[in-house]
Amino acid sequence: MRRVALHLGLLLVCAVILVPLLWVVRTSFLPESMSYSAELMPAATLDNYVALFTSTRYGPSYLNSLIVAVGSVVVALPFACMTGYAFARFRTSGKAGRFAVLAIQMLPPVAIVLPTFTLFRMFGLTNSLTGLIIVYAAVNLPFLIWILMGFFEGIPVDLEWAAMTDGATAWGAFWRIVLPVSLPGIAAAGVLGFILTWNEFLFALVLSGPQTATVPVALAALQTSNGVQIAKVSAGVVLAVLPLVIASRFIQRFIVQGLTFGSVK
Amino acid sequence: MSSIELDHVSKLYASGAYGVRDVDLTIGDGEFVIFLGPSGCGKSTTLRMIAGLESITSGDLRIGGRSVTHVAPRERNIAVVFQSYALYPHMSVRENMGFGLKMRGVARGVIDGKIREAASLLGLTPYLDRRPAALSGGQRQRVALGRAIVRDPVAFLLDEPLSNLDAQLRAEMRLELVKLHRRLGRTIVHVTHDQVEAMTMGDRICIMREGRMIQVGKPLEVYADPVDTFVARFLATPPMNLVPARLEGRDDGLVVRAPGLDVAVPERHRDAYAPAAGREVIFGLRPEDLHEAPAPGLQKVEVTVVALEALGVENILIGQLAGAGAIRPVEIAARLSRHYTAPVGATVPLYLDARPMHLFDPETTRALPRPRLGVLQP
Repeated sequence: MRRVALHLGLLLVCAVILVPLLWVVRTSFLPESMSYSAELMPAATLDNYVALFTSTRYGPSYLNSLIVAVGSVVVALPFACMTGYAFARFRTSGKAGRFAVLAIQMLPPVAIVLPTFTLFRMFGLTNSLTGLIIVYAAVNLPFLIWILMGFFEGIPVDLEWAAMTDGATAWGAFWRIVLPVSLPGIAAAGVLGFILTWNEFLFALVLSGPQTATVPVALAALQTSNGVQIAKVSAGVVLAVLPLVIASRFIQRFIVQGLTFGSVK
Repeated sequence: MSSIELDHVSKLYASGAYGVRDVDLTIGDGEFVIFLGPSGCGKSTTLRMIAGLESITSGDLRIGGRSVTHVAPRERNIAVVFQSYALYPHMSVRENMGFGLKMRGVARGVIDGKIREAASLLGLTPYLDRRPAALSGGQRQRVALGRAIVRDPVAFLLDEPLSNLDAQLRAEMRLELVKLHRRLGRTIVHVTHDQVEAMTMGDRICIMREGRMIQVGKPLEVYADPVDTFVARFLATPPMNLVPARLEGRDDGLVVRAPGLDVAVPERHRDAYAPAAGREVIFGLRPEDLHEAPAPGLQKVEVTVVALEALGVENILIGQLAGAGAIRPVEIAARLSRHYTAPVGATVPLYLDARPMHLFDPETTRALPRPRLGVLQP
């Protein structure tokens, strides 16, 4: 009886989360005129998807988002790895340093978006993907450092000691032993950084231009003077969620794997 | 030449606490030395200082006569086997064993040859292409040893390498290590808190406590002549019996008195112990010096049986000294023959051989000086 109640509860929670998503999927396949219909599936069409790519700038924005998200992760990860490792293993800048890193992450984005805009305009980085990559790498860095620090702390220091007595330098031990062993954690951090960047709206809205808009900005642009084109928005959302679904599968696999098994004990 | 000299070496932490305090020790070329002590006594820290993994706050460390106090671990040519084995999980056994040589730029062919040699020595040949995760505890332990051997280091530092193995495997590996030492002839420093390992494996034992090296000597010497009550109790199971007592002078000599205990000091110790007459002392006697049957020279003592532990090879009797007047009855252990029986609660006579007795100062816990018994080898 308790199990039944538990499962009913779980079903309810699942429904609360899934029904809106499924409704968006359903709406994305309906003609615009029927999108507010109460019927479950009055018609089915791919028009919204086609229109999204032919009559709006969703396609280029999608590509922009991919470039910016991947780019920012590629830029931020090496810094995050090295700083996270330094925090985990050495007394680098002490507790104050760690706290500063966390404190930066706590800052509301709206507090830094305007100064960033001013700076970027000075350097000609507004309306450029490079600018977005830089800003996202910087904004995500504290978060990535924090995640990786935890991961590095979990790696037995004996491994590095063994490498160092085996003839490796401190850098060699980091490069040849710590990094390969930490790959699952680094991958997980990378995927999280990707998701954060992919979803980010405020910086993209302020710093990008028509040529460099990302997916969230492109979706917002579908709110026109004729009202919200809900069917197209739905199609856009479905496509926008797709990489995240794939990414979260990845994370799950990597985190569960736990590669250090077998090295100690 | 691969002697290791610790010249008044100390490790002071930022918190102001000493990890290791003024350790002064010379480990000879090819010697097998044991660092023994309870956890947190500084033995692993000392080992890591020798390896270069822990900085030395003061003092000097010399390996083969060369000062290496400020030399990086990779330039000391010392191999460490960690308690956790610390195998590289993303590498095969072969890669694990070859890593050190690869780091030193040794040619591939030479590395392969050395790996093959070490693998056959340790029985690892069938597992060379496996990852550590696919090995048993004992096999991982061998890989860790193999990784050390292939490098042909000047000394091996073993940090409790057997403590994760089950009892049977541990006994086997203990023997393997001793054989390996004989075969390679290299200096070995072995850290352990296991008394059996300490007694059976090394040429010398260095007993550490609270960062200090309190006694260094051959295993049987340390066993026979512990410098204080800590060493006396630490080196064996069951530990040495320690009974708070009073040393009294009598016309015919000295006698150790405690409630339920009245032991005449053997003549050989009388001169040494005479100055302590009239003082409080701690009387120390090993459980194997208590016997179940009377014999010439043995002194009788009565105990109330608290427990009798049958170990198969022998019986350990735990008994309370049967004297009246004790506020807290003192428990003593006796190693008796496996045929000995006595019901719990019964008062039984035991016969003690006072010749190997010790007296300790109750304040300093140090042993009162007396003629050394020396090695009690047959």
